[in-house]
Amino acid sequence: MASELNNPSQRLVENLASKLRRRQVVGSRQAALETVLVLRQVVSKARFSKFEQLVEIIRSAGRRLVEAQPKEHSVGNTVRKVLHHIREEYHTATKGRASASTRNAFSISKFVLQGQPRKQNVLTKTDEKGTIKENDPDDPDSFARGLKPVLMEAIQDVLDELETVYDNVSKNARDHIHSDEIILTIGKSKTVEAFLKSAAHHRNYTVIVAETGPSYSGHEMAQSLSSAGISTFLVPDSSIYALMSRVNKVILGAHAVLANGGMFAITGSLLAATAARAHSTPVVVCAGQFKLTPLWNLYHEYGALDFADPSNVLGFEEGGLVDKVDVINPYYDYVHPELVDAFITNDGDHPPSSIYRLIKETYDDEDHDL
Amino acid sequence: MSSVSSSESERSESLQSDTQPGATSSSFDIYATYERFLQNEDISTPLAAILALTELVEKSNAGTMFELVKALNDGAKSLKEGTPNPISLNCGCELFVAFVSLFPHDSDTFSELKTELVKQGRSYAAEALGYRDRIADLSLGFIKDDSILTHSYSRVVMKTLLRAHKQKRISVYVTEARPRGLGFVLNVSSLAAAGIPCTVVLDSAVAYVMDNVDFVLVGSEAVVESGGLINAVGSHQMAIIAKAANKPFYALAESYKFHRLFPLSQYDLPTHNPSILSFPRTGTLSTLSAQPLSSSISQLHEVPTVPSESHSALLVPLSMTPEQIARNPDVDYTRPDLISLVISDVGHLTPEGVSQYLVGMFAG
Repeated sequence: MASELNNPSQRLVENLASKLRRRQVVGSRQAALETVLVLRQVVSKARFSKFEQLVEIIRSAGRRLVEAQPKEHSVGNTVRKVLHHIREEYHTATKGRASASTRNAFSISKFVLQGQPRKQNVLTKTDEKGTIKENDPDDPDSFARGLKPVLMEAIQDVLDELETVYDNVSKNARDHIHSDEIILTIGKSKTVEAFLKSAAHHRNYTVIVAETGPSYSGHEMAQSLSSAGISTFLVPDSSIYALMSRVNKVILGAHAVLANGGMFAITGSLLAATAARAHSTPVVVCAGQFKLTPLWNLYHEYGALDFADPSNVLGFEEGGLVDKVDVINPYYDYVHPELVDAFITNDGDHPPSSIYRLIKETYDDEDHDL
Repeated sequence: MSSVSSSESERSESLQSDTQPGATSSSFDIYATYERFLQNEDISTPLAAILALTELVEKSNAGTMFELVKALNDGAKSLKEGTPNPISLNCGCELFVAFVSLFPHDSDTFSELKTELVKQGRSYAAEALGYRDRIADLSLGFIKDDSILTHSYSRVVMKTLLRAHKQKRISVYVTEARPRGLGFVLNVSSLAAAGIPCTVVLDSAVAYVMDNVDFVLVGSEAVVESGGLINAVGSHQMAIIAKAANKPFYALAESYKFHRLFPLSQYDLPTHNPSILSFPRTGTLSTLSAQPLSSSISQLHEVPTVPSESHSALLVPLSMTPEQIARNPDVDYTRPDLISLVISDVGHLTPEGVSQYLVGMFAG
């Protein structure tokens, strides 16, 4: 399959794949951004005379990237999203002919799937607009030439969405945080950071940041928040439970949100969420739509595990101990859906139980396995 | 008709009814038709109902849509009256009637429309036969080398287990599912034949076995709008125990089993009637207890007697009389908060997700 890719774009794909593998690109948004940029190159250089060929080109590039780093779920998600968008563009571009074949295909199974038939579905079939011709034997490139501008626009949409994701997530921040509330957060999530800062424009509130060992990313977070003028406390992870009775709301970031409404988040999130449950404190998760992953049961598979550098837990300076014990540093927790009250995304606020529906709308079913 | 043909073409052929010449809608016996379809063991109750109603459309001499829908509703009613447990039958009837009344058509004559509807009904039934395979495929990702607890007999659970057995090392605990004993009778023989390690457990041993299993997998009679499940009695307690032990509880349901019903308790089910859970009149009780124990035992139907060292086991009757069984429910309702996932041919759904499809079909 890789041989179908023409050379310069294949090099780009390989380049990103090795960056992902070497962990030079980390973080779900960073990975997603890089993926869109590469896919844009791939599409702009691609040669195809049929739409299916293009889909296969994108898929094989996507497969390559996902295999390079299966733990960055946003890579696969971005590929799926791009595929979804270009399919949509293709269908609008070739409307007249494509829908003619689906005409009068209403059946009981369709009825179950899509609900009651709508009037406009039956009516708007007459406008013959399709100007782009597939598989033209005289000029095999004409199809690609006609379609490419709209495809590039579609990919640009995905890119724009990624670039504005923090603004859009924190758009309604002030509706979620009230004056004089005490918020607990853990780790340094850029989404949560933007969310809290945006709320600080309108409200006066306090944030407790757990320092989040062994990476201690909470230190950075506390510094960033307090420099934005938010009253901030930095506390050790071990006091999360004891402080929880004072906390009004727990706000967490996510690495990936799964279809069942569960999520992967930095270690300590499960601890905070469980403590919150014991005190009936609401748990709110801020996450961009690109983190929605169409998987139901990943959490008990090998790919779910990710380990960080163990030197943060036990350094080589303690050489005597290093020989005697195995040190592991798991990087993510799986937080199950029952512990989360709401997801705040750039596409509105949702309970965990309707994440699967969001995923159904965002991606095409056939792309779940790339 | 009764023989189950294996190849797909033969199967869809067997769905075609042999048209009796000169049959009018008045002489058409919908219940007999329904039972005839049910003899094919691949066809479940809702599908048989849809096929029977399809046949009713074919035989009907209705000249307008209004007449046709009325004939269908009457047919559904007479089907319902024939069975003691109309829940899953209702799913099929309601789906088909809603479909017929909303079908967007451009037929010139009414008889043309009827032919089209008959075609639709049959092609759906043929398509729906593949739903169990699809569910088995979708469930596969949730099964590892696991120990599974299941309740009663369900064709879709069976198919899923057999499918999983091809790739994973599973072992299965089956409850006997009193009083009908379907779990005991049907599951064990076919699972054992396939070489799946399988043990029958008492309905009362579910809590005992729960710590030893990885998840619970049940079929369904119907999935209702709240996302709750209607299934053979005992499913509810199994779900409660699974929840208490933090084990996932998966329900498998073909999409034709989605049912527009919103029960709030067990007693809202259409199968509940005053005789269920009623107390026997004291007169009959005294005559029963007046009989010597030995003769009352001999009246009971065959029971698999437990060989027991204790004498007390021999003194009490080990099975219930038909009257006692009649005072017991056949199905129960499992609340949605106890169900982890509903796996259906339309995809994996959270229990709440079921209502989306029902609202799409029946609301507005």
